[in-house]
Formats: sequence, C-alpha cells, structure tokens
Amino acid sequence: MKSLSDHQVSERLPVRKWIPTPMQIRQYAEASGDFNPIHLDDNYARQAGLGGVIAHGMLSMAQMAAMLTDWIGDEGIISKIDVRFEQMVRPGDTVLCSGFIRARSEKVLVCDLAAFNERDERVLSGLAHITIN
Amino acid sequence: MLRKELIGRESESIVVKIKPEEVRRFAEATGVPYNDRVPPTFVGTLLHASIDGVELPIVGMIHGEQKITYSRQLRIGETISYKKRVKDIYDRSGKLGKMTFIVLETIGYDLTGELVFSSSSIIIAQGKEDA
Repeated sequence: MKSLSDHQVSERLPVRKWIPTPMQIRQYAEASGDFNPIHLDDNYARQAGLGGVIAHGMLSMAQMAAMLTDWIGDEGIISKIDVRFEQMVRPGDTVLCSGFIRARSEKVLVCDLAAFNERDERVLSGLAHITIN
Repeated sequence: MLRKELIGRESESIVVKIKPEEVRRFAEATGVPYNDRVPPTFVGTLLHASIDGVELPIVGMIHGEQKITYSRQLRIGETISYKKRVKDIYDRSGKLGKMTFIVLETIGYDLTGELVFSSSSIIIAQGKEDA
C-alpha cells in the first residue's frame, strides 16, 4: 500500500459519505455536552429562524477529521484542522467530505477540505495539516 | 448582549482528565472506530470553562468557524488544563441585518505546562435585540 510520504500535490483524498440522523445528533449532543436546542428541538429551531433542526457544526467537522484519520491511519497525525461552516447541515442530508493535497514538505501535507450536500451546496470548507510520523 | 469590553476576559483554568469512556462515547457518536487515539475534534467538548458576562448559547447563534491546532497528540488518560478567552468581538452588517461575531480561544496545556492544543471558535449571533 502507498505510504503517506508517497502522496503528491493535487492528489485527491478518499471521500467520506455522511448522512446525519436525528439519533446521531442526539448522541453527539450527549457525547459533547452541547445541548443547544437548535440541534434537538424542531419547533425551537424554527422559531430561531433556522427552518428546523440543524446538525452541530462540530459534528460536521468531526466527519471531515474522520475522513482524514481514515486516510492517514497510524502514519501521521492531524496537527491542524481549520474549517468554516458555510451552510447548515440537516438530518437526512447526504454530505460528501472531500479533500486534496495542496502542498507538501517532507513531513507535512497541507490539504484543502470541502464538503458538499446532495444539492451541490458547499456546507464546509477548510484546511488541514497532516504531520507524517 | 455582548459588548467589546468583554474582549480579553478569561475563564478560570479547568483541569480535566481525558477519560477513555468519554473518548469512546465521542467516537461512537461521530461514527469513528474507538482506538488508542483521541479524535482531533474531541477538544471541542471542553466546554466547561465559563467566562463572566459571556452567556452562551444566545438564541439563534450559529457556529461560523472552528480552528484546532495541536503541538502534539492529545493522549487518552492524560490530564489537561485549559482556559477560554474572548479573543475578539465585532459587528458586521449583512443582508440579514446586524450580526455580532464572537471569537473564543481555548488553550490546553499538560501538567508540565507544555502547550498541547489551541482552538479558536467564531460564533455568530444575529443582532435582533441590540447590544
């Protein structure tokens, strides 16, 4: 198998598909301690002007991080991950997390990150640094 | 609501142990295998540092951006001391009216005082009720 050090600039990373469910959002609220009702209570989220419950941004970011960790395995660590939440993610959306290698040095891969929903709207963009062990 | 005087205000230091059962629960909830590693966004659950005058969540607020940087890997079982600080507060006007941006920074050290991670969140509050 190809090792991390063999990857070159402009290569695409393996895509992670994610479909959030109300149950996962509830589980994430419990695991993270973030019980903001915009994630859990549809009426509340509507009154707050969000049109219904939305997934935690940090849950979307965790999917992006999972895409990276699945790819890097034991060969490195995520030393930096920066994201911008561009569109709301709702239960039932199909989100594809993707990335490509923008630049690299001997020990660090700089990756551009983007996640799109099934309507082709970008829901998240970002950047990560992978430090090779 | 949130005024500029709050910039620079800090929480107390909070000391926490990175407990295996909490990391496991986090891994399960986010759909990743639980192994000997702490998922990188786990530090987003270190929410217990409260800052006087900054009452979150504010109705209708959303999370705009999040940055996490590690100077080394966070390990299961280790003890971390973290602190939260208001890095910036600013207003912007957009098509939805006035919005307030709050930048919160969390910094975590190990018990030897070595920096482990820093994280920065931008929270956006719709400014229906004025400050």
